[in-house]
Amino acid sequence: MGHANEDLRPDNNDGLSSDNEPWSEQDDDEGSLSFDDSGSDDSDEDEAVAGESDSSEDEVGPRNTVGQVPLEWYKDEEHIGYDIDGRKIKKRDREGRIEQYLRNADDAKNWRKIYDVYNDEEVQITKDEAKIISRLLKGKTPHANVDPYPDYVDWFEYDGKGHPLSNAPEPKRRFVPSKWEQKKVVKLVRAIRNGWIKFDKPKEEPNYYLLWGDETDTADNKREGLSYIPAPKPNLPGHEESYNPSVEYIPTQEEIDSYQLMYEEDRPKFIPRRFETLRSVPAYEKALREGFDRCLDLYLCPRTRKKRINVDPESLKPKLPSKKDLRPYPRTCYLEFKGHNGPVKSLSVEATGQWIASGSSDGTIRVWEVETGRCLKVLNVGADVHDIAWNPSPERPILAAIVGHDLLLLDAEVGDEETKMRTKELLCVDEPTPEDDADGKKPAVRWVKHEKFDGITLIHHKAVKTVEWHSKGDYFTTVVPTGESRAVLLHQLSKKRSHHPFRKLPGLPVAATFHPTQKMFFVATKKFVQVYDLQKAEVVKKLESGLREISSISIHPGGDNVIVGSKDGKLCWFDTDLSTKPYKMLKTHKKDITSVTFHRRYPLFASSSEDCTAYVFHGMVYSDLNQNPLIVPLEILRGHLSLDRRGVLDCKFHPRQPWLFTAGADSVIRLYCE
Amino acid sequence: MDAADPSRQVRVRFVTKLPPPLRAPPTAIAVPAELSRMGLSEIVNRLLLAGEPDHQAQPFDFLVDGELVRMPLQQFLLAKGISAERVLELEYVKAVAPRKQEQPLPHDDWVSAVDGSNPGFILTGCYDGLTRVWKDADVCTQILEGHSGAVTSASFINKGVETDGNSHVVTGSKDRSLRLFKFDTSVTMNYPKRIGAYKILPGHTSSIQSIAVDPSGDMICSGSWDTTIKLWAVEGSEEDGDAVSVKKRRTNSDTSGPEESQLEGSASSTLLGHTQCVSSVAWPEQRTIYSASWDHSIRQWDAQTGKETWNMFAGKALNCLDIGGESSSLIAAGGSDPVLRVWDPRKPGTLAPSFQFSSHSSWISACKWHPSSWFHLISSSFDGKVMLWDLRTAWPLASVDSHKDKVLCADWWKGNSVISGGADSKLCISSGIDIV
Repeated sequence: MGHANEDLRPDNNDGLSSDNEPWSEQDDDEGSLSFDDSGSDDSDEDEAVAGESDSSEDEVGPRNTVGQVPLEWYKDEEHIGYDIDGRKIKKRDREGRIEQYLRNADDAKNWRKIYDVYNDEEVQITKDEAKIISRLLKGKTPHANVDPYPDYVDWFEYDGKGHPLSNAPEPKRRFVPSKWEQKKVVKLVRAIRNGWIKFDKPKEEPNYYLLWGDETDTADNKREGLSYIPAPKPNLPGHEESYNPSVEYIPTQEEIDSYQLMYEEDRPKFIPRRFETLRSVPAYEKALREGFDRCLDLYLCPRTRKKRINVDPESLKPKLPSKKDLRPYPRTCYLEFKGHNGPVKSLSVEATGQWIASGSSDGTIRVWEVETGRCLKVLNVGADVHDIAWNPSPERPILAAIVGHDLLLLDAEVGDEETKMRTKELLCVDEPTPEDDADGKKPAVRWVKHEKFDGITLIHHKAVKTVEWHSKGDYFTTVVPTGESRAVLLHQLSKKRSHHPFRKLPGLPVAATFHPTQKMFFVATKKFVQVYDLQKAEVVKKLESGLREISSISIHPGGDNVIVGSKDGKLCWFDTDLSTKPYKMLKTHKKDITSVTFHRRYPLFASSSEDCTAYVFHGMVYSDLNQNPLIVPLEILRGHLSLDRRGVLDCKFHPRQPWLFTAGADSVIRLYCE
Repeated sequence: MDAADPSRQVRVRFVTKLPPPLRAPPTAIAVPAELSRMGLSEIVNRLLLAGEPDHQAQPFDFLVDGELVRMPLQQFLLAKGISAERVLELEYVKAVAPRKQEQPLPHDDWVSAVDGSNPGFILTGCYDGLTRVWKDADVCTQILEGHSGAVTSASFINKGVETDGNSHVVTGSKDRSLRLFKFDTSVTMNYPKRIGAYKILPGHTSSIQSIAVDPSGDMICSGSWDTTIKLWAVEGSEEDGDAVSVKKRRTNSDTSGPEESQLEGSASSTLLGHTQCVSSVAWPEQRTIYSASWDHSIRQWDAQTGKETWNMFAGKALNCLDIGGESSSLIAAGGSDPVLRVWDPRKPGTLAPSFQFSSHSSWISACKWHPSSWFHLISSSFDGKVMLWDLRTAWPLASVDSHKDKVLCADWWKGNSVISGGADSKLCISSGIDIV
């Protein structure tokens, strides 16, 4: 093929040389005729031309280097172009037509010569080239040995190729709906119905963020480990922090001096100053110091989150009704009962509230008139009176007093004649029949007539400490703390009989009292309160106080609530229906509680203590069993003086008025009224 | 208005209802605004002296719009919102205060009852069971004996009116009985004379706290600790009293005196209703009886039917009660707190007291209205003071401090004296109280 290209160029040149028409005529007419003739002549020159052309092919291509530019550009020039070194190639001198003709006429090979305009030279076509040209002119392939119509060789293999090589008609199955396709569609439909495939995608929330927002109050500042603690926000700078503030911001010298008198914390952190220009503002003098302190803080004080519960302390207080709504209750002392010469150890109020009786360690029992504070009677019994109790029945004005070791029953002589007669009969005792005790021990109690006061003495086997009446006024109980199995005794006044049903007690008994309405009995030992059923003669309940030492006990008039005072100043409220543990423990007094008492009509209870005070509480018991008792501290009653480190020794409520009597070691009885 | 400004003046005119020698010229004059009662009093005295050369200076009290001036004039005007521009009309009255303390009359025991309704005599009941009759605040002429307990209440039956020269007296005692006595008012020799009761009225089952005699003098009512009020006829049950007259009295009752026949009467009716001690009764009109009790109530009873007609809850245990004041219908009562309260029962639907006087510091033991004045009353208290009150001001007019212990009873005497007995066994008399 390379040959073909080379061979084409003379063709082009031929085309371009439109001047050589006679040549072509010659070619058409004569050349073909004389082809065979001149062929033998050309063989030398062919070799020479071939040698030329070979060398030109290898070393020098076309002489001219102007490229394919229109040759008219050089028509009027002296040169036809430039050689490879850039030198001008001069045009050959034009021969005259005649000379040309003469030369051509002489040259037999002239018809094979072609003028190359581009290179401005004459080229002689070789015999082969002339043959190719002549074949092309005849419409034949350039080379004689090319067969334009070879036989068709079917070299393609048809087997195993996927091409629709067959021309068979489309089968029926192409037009029937596909079962598998249907199954696939059913699946998709089900997925759409069940919502597995969603068409409308959720709209993307535009993700804004607060450019000027405070990073402290975003909730997602939580990180692993230490939570994010925002730094405190500094205040915005004001006018005074300007480098050149107005005059009114600048403190006078006196003001600056006065800062020195302030505490360091109170001093202003920044003192405004004036500068002419911003340039003259000095560097912050404390920068280094503060930076150092900050580093110290970070190093020495690791940042831990302090769990501080922000609770108003007021809200933690239990909601209590106001004291005003709980009136009346005793508040102020208006009356004093003076006359005793020693500490008043005990007092008792008569059932109607007209009289009180008091026993003192000066060896006297005094009967007082409540309304005036007049001492009505002084009974000189000659020994310490430890406890005194007025018979709760108004028809029996009998006083039970513990004088020395024994119990004395006597007529208070405040009733009318009939009552006096009956009392006299009641206090009449026969000759003591010597009771035969199986063990030969002396009997627990002997009923002996007391000559001086026309009463009865109950001589106990050991020292008696407390006495308490039953609400009906016939039975009473005495407690002999050291009496072991005969420590708590029950007595019947009408039959002058005594017995001791409680053989086993969990500790030393301190006080005993009757249930106000039912046939129950309470015995307070040092740590427990035992509740007995008197009919069945068995323990019903055992209340655990948890106190160090119980000193006194009082039963709510309803009978279900018990208060207990202790020697460590604590007061326990038991709701016996609720539990055997205290419902409320009131730590009020600083010293021993000497007495606790309930009011019979008003929802009040009180405690008296050796610290010279008596406390009054509101203690409301609701008939609704679901509602717990309401206990409200109301008043601290002061006024008694301490004597021998003893304070208030006894307190009792007036049976009908909201008044409290207190008996003090300073030998005064005080009456606190509303 | 600057209260400290001394130059401020108020134009006042002094008017009075007093008789002519004490009447100042009714011209308006300018007085310094910081003057109080004493300064104003001095000005009035000067004015009177100018009119009458032999005028005796005396203190006056000043009223503005029915209210007593008890502070500097300026302060008073400010408090009452009265303009200081116009002429202020100041009414002056004689100052009510005891001028004189008489010699106290000694007793053997606490003086628990006093009656000054008879201008000639003072009746005192004592804790020793004796009732004493004092003539002219000077000598004890009679001793009425017989009670075995303290006398809690004593009263003349026919007030001032002496029938056949005898005065009748009823006493109530803690020995649960009332006794009626009569004594000859004309006896002048051989005093004190001991007199026994001519009639005993037993029936109460507990101490008698208070008695009251009806205005006509025929009936007596008594309040007692047994929560009842009993009505007794003074003369009525004479005939059945004869039957028991021969009955020998108890041996332990005092029979040392001249043996007189003692009648015994019984209650004509019993008023039930109070639940606690009836501490005070009052019988101001023929038909109505008032009672005060420790059950915190004041009740009004119809004397004829014995029915309760009205009651009021006072909130405190009450010790004393008196009816008086304007048209004799205000109730004054004191009790177990230091406040003397005055209620107006004619005001419907209110339990709040119309007046409260709270200068005492302890229980009020007695209160009495002045027999003729609408405004004045006295109260005695366990703090040892007797105070004189005027309804027109909340401050006490005067406070009598002569007792050393609790004052148990107090009364007016002759309209110009206050008599009071106390636990210091004395009867104190403060006289010279001019109430016009």
